[in-house]
Amino acid sequence: MNTETKEKLSPFHTTILVHMIQTGVMALILPQLLAETFGTNGWITVLGFGLIATINILLIGAVYKLGKGRSIFQILEQSIPKFMLVPVYLALAIVWSMLGCMAGKEYILIFQMYAFPTTDPMEFKFIMDLLVFWLLTKGLYNITKASTVFFGLFVWMFLLLFFFYTDFSWSRLTPFLFKGGHFTYLESMDIYSSLLGYEVVLLMFAYTNKKTKFVKSVLIGNGMTTLTYSYLSIVTFGVFSLEQLKNKAFPVLEMLAYIRFPFMERMENLLYGFVLFTVLFSILMYEWCALEVLKQIFPKLKANFLAFIVMLTCFLIAYIPKTLNEVGDWLSTLSMIESGIAFGLPILLLVVLMFQKMGRSPAHE
Amino acid sequence: MNRLPISLLAILMLVVLPGCDYRILERIGFTYAASYDAAPQNQVEITVSIPRAEPTIKVKRELHSAIGQSSKDARIKFANETDLLLVNGQIRVLLYSEALARKDLSNEINSILRDTSISPLVKITLVNGNAKELLSKNYKQHLSTDKYINRLLEKSSSNHRIPRTTLYEFERDYYDDGIDPIAPILKEAGEDIAVDGIALFQDYKYIAKISNRDALLFSILRGKFKKGDMSLVLSRGEDGSSSEYIMFTSVLSNRKVHVERRAGGTIHVTINANFKGSVHEYIGNKKLSVDAQRHEVESKVSEIMTESANRLVKQLQLHKVDSLGIGIHVRNSMSYEAWKKLNWREEYQKVEIECKLHFKAKDYGKIR
Repeated sequence: MNTETKEKLSPFHTTILVHMIQTGVMALILPQLLAETFGTNGWITVLGFGLIATINILLIGAVYKLGKGRSIFQILEQSIPKFMLVPVYLALAIVWSMLGCMAGKEYILIFQMYAFPTTDPMEFKFIMDLLVFWLLTKGLYNITKASTVFFGLFVWMFLLLFFFYTDFSWSRLTPFLFKGGHFTYLESMDIYSSLLGYEVVLLMFAYTNKKTKFVKSVLIGNGMTTLTYSYLSIVTFGVFSLEQLKNKAFPVLEMLAYIRFPFMERMENLLYGFVLFTVLFSILMYEWCALEVLKQIFPKLKANFLAFIVMLTCFLIAYIPKTLNEVGDWLSTLSMIESGIAFGLPILLLVVLMFQKMGRSPAHE
Repeated sequence: MNRLPISLLAILMLVVLPGCDYRILERIGFTYAASYDAAPQNQVEITVSIPRAEPTIKVKRELHSAIGQSSKDARIKFANETDLLLVNGQIRVLLYSEALARKDLSNEINSILRDTSISPLVKITLVNGNAKELLSKNYKQHLSTDKYINRLLEKSSSNHRIPRTTLYEFERDYYDDGIDPIAPILKEAGEDIAVDGIALFQDYKYIAKISNRDALLFSILRGKFKKGDMSLVLSRGEDGSSSEYIMFTSVLSNRKVHVERRAGGTIHVTINANFKGSVHEYIGNKKLSVDAQRHEVESKVSEIMTESANRLVKQLQLHKVDSLGIGIHVRNSMSYEAWKKLNWREEYQKVEIECKLHFKAKDYGKIR
């Protein structure tokens, strides 16, 4: 057996990991989506979305508390026969592995708009998947440690936002609240999906103990993401005019292109490379979830072999969507399902727990 | 453990992968500057200047030009003439002839906006005359022309002789509904290139020009800035020679716009600009060290500047170009619905704009 079941997550690592899973490619598009959907001062809504995510996390926290730290598999399998759960597990595994896979492909396709446009994107995907695979085989505890290191490599980029203070103008934000946007549920789901990632913690119950201060750490991680996203959005809204922002496919990349040092210009390719660190963890953790679920279906198979199968399937499926728009559509659909899972799964678990409690209480009497 | 195969694989990848996208620096033509001129039948003539760094040849830069339907179309044509692989990543300056800009620049601007390789920091500039000639000519006492233009623009915008107009700013002001874009104008002046003034746009269409003389005044009215210098004739003597003259530098300026709705529905805008500077030259009979006399000079400067500012604003209103961004402040003073109902382009002419400029001499040099 591997040692990770004995080692438990520390609060700090958990917070960083949640933050790293949440931040991803969607951050590059987020301000545009906000401008399109909500119009003027759309950045404020990020806080609202953050609140929804917080409620969702509290829901997960309730499962954690009521389940007394048992893993969701233990909770489910206690009340529901395994043969009924297998299709559910399989569906979850598919959604999660695809989500990771598409996020990776999206990152690569965006990267290729700026660099190496003629290289086959699957070559990059191969290297990326290899990295994900290696991390995947190391187990959760090592993943969290790696994420802390990668967080350090990535977080300094935040300071780059200082570059925009000279061009930031409050009057460009306008005093109007949510005017000139075109609200659709679909797009607001897309915006919400940029905060997704926290639901992964549902599968981490077994890796925690009291010292993890699980719910609190996850909430802090989500708070960090919400605040960074709001800050990023407010800067973007003050630097670009509203209509301009609506017209930009990747406003944040455009901002990176704007950064210029006396000794170097046009370094968005380089900077964009750093975004990989956080994208990598979004991918990695979704694949990890898929792996965890598959382990339940195939308890006899070796974890590393399963990981290999997951990554191979992902790699092969990544061949199907070829263009940025196709990948975007896949990603939208998957994130929508994922939002459903994020809320649905804890609610299901709570219902199951409630039944278990009801079933158990008479027995005590 | 299985460390060895993994490290071997990693090394193999490092060795093999750089071959994937094979490029040699000397064989890439980094376009540095490009010019656009109007050509017959709605076509454009594009010229690009590409610096060359081959030690074996004397040529410092390569020039190519072609006429085509669009900029990319022309590009494909002159790509046939060069042995270099042309890339846009290092473009610093885009020059458009006034004639082309008077028609409309939207096609040209949109095409560069879509190109991911073009930096948002590329400078948008108009040329009084033929842009191709300006770019093709070699100016003896200066650097290679493309670099010369780039540095000239950078220097001039840093001391506010011209506004800083990068693609980012140009596009931003185009899309903002309360301000119109601007761009500097260059012209050929014998053996040099000179700044000719500031071009005022309505959307992507060039409408009018501010002369060089009013450039700093324009900057003061447009917003907060540091650095810049200005000379002013305060009064003329009997025989026409200037009897009182002042030159100040290191100007620090700050602008406040106040919007007010007067009875009858007219919009009244007050632009309050405070600017400070160090007096470097003063010809006249007042003693700057004496407070009262210095204040007299200051108020004289303020008065003259206010007068020119009001004249300048009238000129802008006449051409229906809101290059100062007054619309932003009017917009922010009213409700969204009211602003959308207002046709700002038309209303702008009717707005009463009053400029109040206040000058303060921060110091007056080494002479008392």
